[in-house]
Amino acid sequence: MSASEPTTQPAAEGRAGWAWRPYALTLPALILLAAVIGYPLLTIVLRSLSEPEWGVQNYVWFFGAPINLTVLQRTFAISAWVTLVCVVCAYPYAYLMTAVGPRVRLMLVLCVLIPFWVSGVVRTLSWVILLQDSGVINSLLRSVGFSGVRLIRTQTGVVIGMAQVLLPFMILPLYSVMKGIDLRLMRAAESLGARPSRAFFTVYLPLSLPGVYAGAMIVFILALGFYITPALLGGPRSTMLSTLVQNQVLSLLQWGRGGAMGVVLLVATFVLLALAAPVMRSRHREAGRR
Amino acid sequence: MLKTKGLGLGAMVVLGALATAAFAQEKPVAGEVKEGSLKGKTLTLVSFGGIYQDGQVAALKEFVDKSGVTLLNDGPTEIAKLQAQVESGNVTWDVVDTADFPPYVYCGKLFQKLDFSKLDISHIPEGQVSDCSVPAMNYGVVLMYNTEKYKDNPPKTWADFFDTAKFPGVRGIDGSGDFTGGLLEQALKVGGGDPKAMTVADIDKAIDVVRKLGPDTIYWKTGAESQQLAESGEADMLMMWTGRAMTAVKNGAKYAPAWQDWLVVMDQMTIPVGVKDTDAAYALLNAYLGKQSQEVLTQTTSYTPINNEAQPKVDASVAAFLTNTPERQKQGVKQNIKFWVENFQVAQEKWSALMAGN
Repeated sequence: MSASEPTTQPAAEGRAGWAWRPYALTLPALILLAAVIGYPLLTIVLRSLSEPEWGVQNYVWFFGAPINLTVLQRTFAISAWVTLVCVVCAYPYAYLMTAVGPRVRLMLVLCVLIPFWVSGVVRTLSWVILLQDSGVINSLLRSVGFSGVRLIRTQTGVVIGMAQVLLPFMILPLYSVMKGIDLRLMRAAESLGARPSRAFFTVYLPLSLPGVYAGAMIVFILALGFYITPALLGGPRSTMLSTLVQNQVLSLLQWGRGGAMGVVLLVATFVLLALAAPVMRSRHREAGRR
Repeated sequence: MLKTKGLGLGAMVVLGALATAAFAQEKPVAGEVKEGSLKGKTLTLVSFGGIYQDGQVAALKEFVDKSGVTLLNDGPTEIAKLQAQVESGNVTWDVVDTADFPPYVYCGKLFQKLDFSKLDISHIPEGQVSDCSVPAMNYGVVLMYNTEKYKDNPPKTWADFFDTAKFPGVRGIDGSGDFTGGLLEQALKVGGGDPKAMTVADIDKAIDVVRKLGPDTIYWKTGAESQQLAESGEADMLMMWTGRAMTAVKNGAKYAPAWQDWLVVMDQMTIPVGVKDTDAAYALLNAYLGKQSQEVLTQTTSYTPINNEAQPKVDASVAAFLTNTPERQKQGVKQNIKFWVENFQVAQEKWSALMAGN
């Protein structure tokens, strides 16, 4: 997960010219990144500062309109909820994947991957059928006495739908970390007198945290940019920032404002990750200690 | 040199000798194109996909067969994409179907001012041609209500739609993107304003009336969703496009239209600035406006034709939602296009704030 350390290269090679070789191997990836991410991103930043004229007018507009700030805050809140739901659902599932035999594991992997291969739009529309007022879930709830539970066009509905779409991004990193944890450590802890819960919280959980962090980060960041799911499952009160960007660019041709919104979202995400990084890093080291 | 081989074809019969005379003066006749005149050329039609664009292609089949043009399809229409094409000087969209406002808002900037000596607009209903557009089809935004819910006391006008005290129930409104000027005008009337003398402040007034419908209001995102809301009975009153309303009723939705003050809307046909072969684009438009093309369009899409001689053969369920009968023409309300075009930006921003939960 962390960058490879060039110092671990065998020094015996002797020739200085060899040192850059490993970096050269990353060139194709770097060129691709520069072309498909770097250049468009730069364009967005430039347009946010240059349209309709040079200056910070688009940013002044963004922070001057309360609706933008409400929606920005809501975007982060929904993403945080989605991440939480994903962690809670994925953790036991990924653990189960490490604990069962190969055949059952294959089944479990397929259960994760098959929906992953189905288009997000199709899955979201399936959620519409399930969540709508006259849908399956509400019929079930009605038959046991709960009526008028609003799921579709609410934030709850959006969080459910997004969590399902993003679940594989949580399960797969978690599983890859968990399968590397030596289960004998748990037995060792228990043999030293720890109850199973104690053994889990002091041994297994810390060792699995890198997977939780990696998965949570991917899910959270992907959730921030979600468009289709909130648009189809949500109502006005669950509109996320991407919808506002779409409206500015596609409907009003305000590329500058749309760009500014994207930049604000990006910077806010960086700030949040920068704040979270120290926590993750310290835990990372702790967990990595063998 | 002017060959008129296709004279036996349906559309030509009506025009008869007149067409021959017209040819002599090079005056275009809607629906006609010269045999083989566009051989080797390619035109890209951009529209909104689905059954609608399929119907447009069907309507243009004779044009394609006769002119020899290769017709490509693209879409959906996105003004931002068109803007990118125009600004980069690489316009690949030759004829673009748009919603009501764009040809007015971006006339001369993204859409060409049309040369009406190259088009026969004599059979287009009055008031539908603008400097930069001809109509693509007509339809309506109509108030649909649940007949089982309201029974003997159905809503009759938009005032009833906005009156949740007299008519309780869930409302569904078009939240698919741009605001509908006509709906805001009706809302303004409820809020005590005069749509004929609207001011910018009135936009807020109108949006407040919509907002007062409350948090249960459903803002549908797609035509399909509005149809599904009717068929599942999740909304009690729906603002719907006539095409979707027709399909919902056909599929068994217990809904009926309240036609009084239905909102006149249309799609528009445009030619972007900077297309490579303007004359070919004109030829397509002119063919599209023809009687026979419009009949095919209505028969395949159930939208109302924009050639007033067109006599499409449709069944009763489709005919019930056509908007060009004398009775419907009397009940319809045209939106104040001039006002909405002048205030497009501010209205759209206020509307999108409402859509974002403000």
